[in-house]
Amino acid sequence: MNLVDVKNVSFAYSENNFVLQNISFSLQKGSVAIIGQNGSGKTTLVKLLKGLLKPKVGDVFIKGINTKDTTAAKLAKTVGLVFQNPNDQIFKNKVLDEVMFGPLNIGQSVDEARENALRALEIVSLTEKSQENPYDLSLSERKLISIASILSMNTDIVIFDEPTIAQDCWGKTRVKDIVRLLVSAGKLVITITHDMDFVGECFERVIVLNKGKLLLDGSAKDVFSQEDVLSAAYLEPPYITQLCHQLHYDEVFLSPESFISYYESHRQKKETNDAKH
Amino acid sequence: MVVKKTIVVENLKYRYPNTSKLALDSISFSVDEGQFVGIVGKNLAGKSTLCEALVGLVPHFYKGAYGGKVVVDGVEVLNSSIGEMARHIGIVFQNPFTQITAAKLTVYEEIAFGLENLGMDRVEMVKRIDYVLDLLGLYDFKDRNPFELSGGQMQRLAIAGIIAMKPTVIVLDEPTSQLDPQGSEEVFKAVQRLSKEGVTIVMVEQKMEKIAQYADKVMLISEGKMIDFDSPQKLFSREDLENFGVEPPVFTTIAKKLNVKDETTGLYPVTIDEARRLFSL
Amino acid sequence: MARALSLYVETNTFLQKLDPMVKLLYILLSILLPFLILPYRVVGLTFILISCLLLLYGKVFKKVLPLLGFSFLILISIVIIQGLFMQSNRTPAFTIDGLTFYKEGLLYAWTLCIRVLDVLLAFALLVLTTRPSDLIQSLVKRGLSPRFGYVLSSALQIIPQMMSEVGSIMDAQRSRGLETEGNLWTRLKAFVPLIGPVVMSSLLETRERAMALEVRGFSAIGKKTFLFDTEMTLLDKILEWVLGILLLISIIVRIVWL
Repeated sequence: MNLVDVKNVSFAYSENNFVLQNISFSLQKGSVAIIGQNGSGKTTLVKLLKGLLKPKVGDVFIKGINTKDTTAAKLAKTVGLVFQNPNDQIFKNKVLDEVMFGPLNIGQSVDEARENALRALEIVSLTEKSQENPYDLSLSERKLISIASILSMNTDIVIFDEPTIAQDCWGKTRVKDIVRLLVSAGKLVITITHDMDFVGECFERVIVLNKGKLLLDGSAKDVFSQEDVLSAAYLEPPYITQLCHQLHYDEVFLSPESFISYYESHRQKKETNDAKH
Repeated sequence: MVVKKTIVVENLKYRYPNTSKLALDSISFSVDEGQFVGIVGKNLAGKSTLCEALVGLVPHFYKGAYGGKVVVDGVEVLNSSIGEMARHIGIVFQNPFTQITAAKLTVYEEIAFGLENLGMDRVEMVKRIDYVLDLLGLYDFKDRNPFELSGGQMQRLAIAGIIAMKPTVIVLDEPTSQLDPQGSEEVFKAVQRLSKEGVTIVMVEQKMEKIAQYADKVMLISEGKMIDFDSPQKLFSREDLENFGVEPPVFTTIAKKLNVKDETTGLYPVTIDEARRLFSL
Repeated sequence: MARALSLYVETNTFLQKLDPMVKLLYILLSILLPFLILPYRVVGLTFILISCLLLLYGKVFKKVLPLLGFSFLILISIVIIQGLFMQSNRTPAFTIDGLTFYKEGLLYAWTLCIRVLDVLLAFALLVLTTRPSDLIQSLVKRGLSPRFGYVLSSALQIIPQMMSEVGSIMDAQRSRGLETEGNLWTRLKAFVPLIGPVVMSSLLETRERAMALEVRGFSAIGKKTFLFDTEMTLLDKILEWVLGILLLISIIVRIVWL
């Protein structure tokens, strides 16, 4: 069974003004990035996946359950959504309580919830801040707390809305580690993001939305090699990929590591060739 | 010819009220008129505090313990008020939304807010508003409600409201961190235009590739101290950069791993153009 | 997208161009005169008539109708209660289903209705034909503290913004399994997780906005200027004088009379 099935979904906030048109795809465990410029319908799509909105046309199935037959609060056991602005959710005056709020809502016992919350705080490297007031921490730390407060619910599907925004290099590294950890734990990780370097380094599959339509859906490598299609949707591939294009490589790379190993092997080849001549 | 120093900071020390650690510790530097300076460092390193000290929010808004001297455009910040400093230096913050005054109904009137506060003559006001609308590409939006703009447009409006007051220096504290790529690009283009107009720019930014592309000099800050203040090439070529929580541009990272340097300068590439030149096999 | 809280309708008649102070004076007159000048009810009715004509002329009469509809509900209940139960009721007027209405009560209710409608329409005239920012600016020019003026005008825009923020907060908490629909108890329990972030983020935003205002010279010493510093027209001045003198005369007349 697929974790997510989106079937011919269209959505409009007001009559006939469709922000999503006839979208279909299925997702299994792994990592998917949904990209597209502002107004492409990314946020709407994510709200549909979370059951916060219901499709006007078509259906969204989460683990086989139609979102029309359930509520967002009930779906919380299966789908976790980390919002872009942590200030939209934080209301407890202790970090640990904030992270325990979700687990308690979905019926975990207090002990269970505390255990899960502490584990989640460990994952985001904020264990030592568990007794502090969230509003005494920096925005990027609050963002990690909002991530922990979803991880503690231990859902099969985790969705991130712009997790790397307002993060410094330390925070970005944390987010990348969290995504990799969730994927290796067999979860489905979905992100909407503008940070292409983040996509290139952490995501296997990429879905491109443009003006409410599904423009591309494929492996990150395939999607980012189609620079023309991307630029029509006002998107740029990761810096590393851009460099590959500028150097006229026949292959594109998405992460510094893959570029380095390719370059090194070619440099060696060239050196041995030069030596022969 | 002697180049005018628009910013001179001497042994600046500052501690926020009710804290024990120095937020800024013995910082000294100077900036030439018209220079574009980037500030990098990890969160809470003191970048924002330094920005606030340049415009007078530190110490006038926050109070706290203050030592040393900050002189901007010939005026010492400590002896001036934030309102007076506005004629010499302006600041743009991260969040475009909270920089909208909310008291004005159109972009045009929003830009006038600062000028009204300074008691400017109306003829001059209209002239300046028209100038900044054009400079920041906001002319088509002049009758819109500021809250109906996109993030990038709002941030350009915030810059316009500051630039209309004709400061010699503009400080931008992570102005693009909450914007999408299109919005960030709009803001960077706008800042570049200001730089060409001769405005001195101080910009805090997490996107190192952008800093490398636009800045004349980069300052590295860690735990309230200034670690280095040099050209992007020299600063990002430092081997100990990661110790301060800063990752160089991705081009520099791969060049370091592969030991690809510019032979004449002995420095790593920092922009895509430099990288293309050095990486072609 | 949430817009500013405002009932202003742009119809470009002379009412819209009139200085807000003239309209404020008109409100003052319409409140005071029906108390000062006999016959009270005739004066009140005259004001109602004038207000209606002006509202029609300003092409905003339609906007008043819902307001009137709502106030009629209250007015009718005043008529019923006073007509039936007022203490000084002596003279029966008519009887419906065994309920006797009295003349004294009805007359008193009639006076009340006139006053309520009178004030309501005068205020509607101001609110529907004046941009809130113009009103505030003209008050600031006449000595209202600019800080208080700012609080008034920014509230008109910030409140709708806060309402739209409540939407995203609700989404965020529902995503963490919070039930926001259901019986009263469920809704009450959902109150803290919803209102907490609203309060905290508006506090954060207020601080950020305060800094942004400061660096744009909000506290600068010296006289402020205004971008749209519309001078009062001759008509404005004449009307201001006429209304002012009218007010003065009626106060004097009243004092002499007594």
